[in-house]
Amino acid sequence: METRLQFLIDQARKEITEITSLNELQSRKSHYIGKKSPFTELMKQLKELPKEERPEFGKKINIAKNQLQLMITEKESSLKQLAYETSLSDNIVDITMPGRRRNKGALNPINKVWREIEDVFISMGFDVAEGYDIEDEFHNFDALNTPQDHPARDLSDTFYIDNNILLRTQTSTVQIRVMENHQPPIKIIAPGRCYRNDNDASHSPAFHQVEALVVDEGISFADLKDVLNLFVKRLFGQNIESRIRPHFFPFTEPSAEIDIVCLKCLGKGCNLCKGQGWIELGGAGMVDPNVFDKLGIDSEKYSGYAFGMGIDRVAMLKYKIPDMRMLFENDIRFLKQFK
Amino acid sequence: MKISYKWLKEYIDIKITPEELEQRLTFAGIEVETIETLGEELKSIKVAKIIEKESHPNAEKLSICTVFDGEKNLQVVCGASNCAKGQCIAFAPVGSIVGNFKIKKAKLRGVQSFGMICSEKELGLSENHDGIMVLREGAEIGVNLSEYLDYQDTIFDVEITPNRPDLLGIIGVARDLSALLGLELKLPETSLPISSINISESLQLKNENSEKCPRYIARLIKDVKVEESPEWLKKRILSVGLRPINNIVDITNFVMMEYGHPLHAFDYSKLEERQIIVRNAKKDEAITALDNQKYQLIEDDLVIADSTKPIALAGIIGCQNSQITNETVDIVIEAANFLYSSVRKTSGRLKISTDSCYRFERGMSDINAKNVSDRACSLIIEIAGGSLANGTLDSFENIKEPVQVSLRPDKVRSFLSIDINDAKIIEYLENLGLKLIEQSSQKISFTIPHYRNDLTREIDLIEEIIRLHGYNNVASKLKTQNIMNKELFQLRRSVQDFLINEGFYGTVNWPFADPESLNKLKISENDLRRNFISIKNPIGKSFSVMQTTLLPNLFKNALYNINHNQKDLKLFELTKIFKKSDNISKREDFTVSGLITGKFLEIYWNSNQQEVDFFDLKGIIEDLFDYLKIEKFTMVKSKENFYQLQLGVDVLINKKIVGSFGKVDPKIAENFEIERPIYTFELNLSEINKINCFKKHTFIEIPKFPPVLRDLSILVSKDYSFEQLENCIYSTNPKVIRKIVLFDEFTGKMIDKGFKSLSFNIMFGSDTKTLTDDYIKKLFDKIVKNLKQKYNIRLR
Repeated sequence: METRLQFLIDQARKEITEITSLNELQSRKSHYIGKKSPFTELMKQLKELPKEERPEFGKKINIAKNQLQLMITEKESSLKQLAYETSLSDNIVDITMPGRRRNKGALNPINKVWREIEDVFISMGFDVAEGYDIEDEFHNFDALNTPQDHPARDLSDTFYIDNNILLRTQTSTVQIRVMENHQPPIKIIAPGRCYRNDNDASHSPAFHQVEALVVDEGISFADLKDVLNLFVKRLFGQNIESRIRPHFFPFTEPSAEIDIVCLKCLGKGCNLCKGQGWIELGGAGMVDPNVFDKLGIDSEKYSGYAFGMGIDRVAMLKYKIPDMRMLFENDIRFLKQFK
Repeated sequence: MKISYKWLKEYIDIKITPEELEQRLTFAGIEVETIETLGEELKSIKVAKIIEKESHPNAEKLSICTVFDGEKNLQVVCGASNCAKGQCIAFAPVGSIVGNFKIKKAKLRGVQSFGMICSEKELGLSENHDGIMVLREGAEIGVNLSEYLDYQDTIFDVEITPNRPDLLGIIGVARDLSALLGLELKLPETSLPISSINISESLQLKNENSEKCPRYIARLIKDVKVEESPEWLKKRILSVGLRPINNIVDITNFVMMEYGHPLHAFDYSKLEERQIIVRNAKKDEAITALDNQKYQLIEDDLVIADSTKPIALAGIIGCQNSQITNETVDIVIEAANFLYSSVRKTSGRLKISTDSCYRFERGMSDINAKNVSDRACSLIIEIAGGSLANGTLDSFENIKEPVQVSLRPDKVRSFLSIDINDAKIIEYLENLGLKLIEQSSQKISFTIPHYRNDLTREIDLIEEIIRLHGYNNVASKLKTQNIMNKELFQLRRSVQDFLINEGFYGTVNWPFADPESLNKLKISENDLRRNFISIKNPIGKSFSVMQTTLLPNLFKNALYNINHNQKDLKLFELTKIFKKSDNISKREDFTVSGLITGKFLEIYWNSNQQEVDFFDLKGIIEDLFDYLKIEKFTMVKSKENFYQLQLGVDVLINKKIVGSFGKVDPKIAENFEIERPIYTFELNLSEINKINCFKKHTFIEIPKFPPVLRDLSILVSKDYSFEQLENCIYSTNPKVIRKIVLFDEFTGKMIDKGFKSLSFNIMFGSDTKTLTDDYIKKLFDKIVKNLKQKYNIRLR
């Protein structure tokens, strides 16, 4: 029995030393350590020995078994280390190769700027109001203090659907729609598409505008200037100043045009701003009391301001796009630039 | 903190119901967390009489009683030594619940027992377990114990905010309610009979730390009888969640719950040299407190001591060495104030939490110490007898001047935006105990009562005014607007975001159309899309109507790019289409259309480049609906003429067509000069938004039990659709079959003609158990059986 034990030990040692894979080790481990291991067999045979030898020999078996266990554990950790090292060297790649990218798309710069403008105004507490592209003369002209004989009503400027029905020429129609349905306070913007019967390098028959309208008690000219300034800085950058200067619109009094510092030369004067240092952004003014009166809003109690600008123009200014037609060509090489 | 409705009524004549009171409390800033109806558990216990008592034949200590419960005689085995014939007792019949036990018919040492005669402890009325509870003679037999004890009450568990320590007693809450409801507050009266003993001859008080103990009042009462409290007192103590102990301790607890100011009683005979010293603990000093715990003190702790040892940890807990016992004859009543920060430091360090330290930590009033001292002494003499020594020992060095606060009534009105006159402002504040000093139209000044340390500024008073006036009585002066159509706005943005993420580029086109384009799309003559809105003065014939579909412009965009050698395209446009209507709001619909052609994914070093196919497009639509949380949609073969045969799908929500997608018939594409496979979709977003089909986004429990996955490969006739087979599998057990994934599909040489091979991966799961192999096998066999029966499949 002694020889049998010695033989088992020698055999196991040899076997374990020669093992090269973790799987193999696992299977030998269960062979030697498990319930049916040859050591357990030997233990069972103990009773064949003389009584006084049994404890001594039992101890020997256990020692051998423990040694074997230790050996397996050591072998296991050395094999694991080896596997780890191999995995490192096997997985070396050329890290300068391009990453696996998901191909994202992009919005047309008009929509991109449109959303940016909405976000700036939403951050300042404005609601986004919806209007109709197909409007009537009342909302597009009468209510906006544009008299019957005004040249803007000419067929050559306005697309007509019917006698009284037209494609809106400005988003100011939404002002009227909102004031018809809501009492102040009102603080909205209305982005949308407008139409004018014009088609050349700097005019598109369909174009995009955004209009802002604020009506409440105690709204002053200073509020208009402050909101405009903040809006311009948030849209174009903190260093972009704005100013307003007198102008005429039928539905605002006083009326103004909005200028911002030239985005190209930052005020020094260049070909974009024609040496002025300023570029025109849009129109603004305090809502004319006539407009309020037509809509049944008390012009003594309430005051308000409105301003508007072309979204397409903002996009062109912001991205320095030279030709308006590029916005509508939808050339994928162009669109890819606005990711 | 627990507040008893009945107790509250002793100080204020509330006419409203407990339910109404709950509302008033909560909206006055005393938030009611729970309401408990007391006495419910005693309703099943009956008042009964022992009409016969015999000894138990098999047990010396037990007796067999015959109990009359008002209806019948019952045999009950009782183990109490004090039970006797003729007693009125609390009887728990079979089926009633005592504590947590349901009383059942029982056999005790061979004798049947139909119920139980209860002790006070068993009923949760006191710690008394010496014997059964004996009721007064002549009690009405058969009534329930709750009624007999007048035990019905409503208990409000209220949350007292940390700024209002004055509310930590029932009187404080009553005071607030009296202001709130405009009712008179009745404070308890005290009477302190004069005796022949002088306290100064019997007791000495030394306050060595007047900073941490701004006031200490000691009083001595001699010859009291320490015993069980009278019923009414026990009831009060129990109603607020405390345990009756003995009359002296119960009274100090009662007064604490009443005034919100803790007190302590010492056994006078245990005070060495008849001294009370307020001092810092000495180094290495330790105490054994009333909770049987030993605490090691540090010099920062404040203790109450006699000449040799600490007898209490100031404001926190008393020591065993001086506690009131049944042998106590003479007592010292402590009413004091301790600095909140000092109490907090010590209780925090020693991790002791008592009703007393909870209150001192929040800041008590020096003045109130006197009130509670008077009240406690008066009650003790009334209940426990004894004679009160003349005079008090009162250490009160820094008597604070009352605080004065002014407010501007105009500020009150403008700040709260309520219409309230000066008289009402004064009324509210006077009801809270503030005293008017000065009044002008600009300014009203008050002194603040000692118990309201939280009122120091004008704004604090404004808060009190609106609390009493009612937050809900402030009229809305809406300065905001609700003009935006947030749902449609968000829907448009979500669609844009999704498509950009899928690699689409947004286009912008003029919204004009050429009527001819609908002929190119083979759109039928009576189709609504031919119901154009025409422009009287268009810029040209090709732009003479408003668009009714976005597809022609997308074809134009595709052609432009293909002509510029850009052949892998994913384009979309989201804008309005127009249709004729007299109703202005029905003319314009937001619509999104998309177009895909060429390679589905951009070139990449180890991906296989595949041309877009039908299932790429279908996947996009399915993912989009998933993203938009649209769950219930159906897809059917399209009625559009411009899709290639069998490759067009109409999408329906609520049986309404909201759009379509598919492969454009090559001949149609050719009409737009495109000679490549083109896939398009068009969805009417305004319609989708109107149907309001969006699933409410709520969390779904993550499965606790691991799912089991099984593969199933079958051969089936091409006549049967995937959908049919999928439904058949699901319907076998829709609860357990969680997901079916098709992972392979092929036909060809290896497969019989007219057949296809499909491989499914089926996920099984349960919310309640781990599914066993055996269970899965049975279910799997059933699926196969169903498929064979219905679709004649063969297993592969």
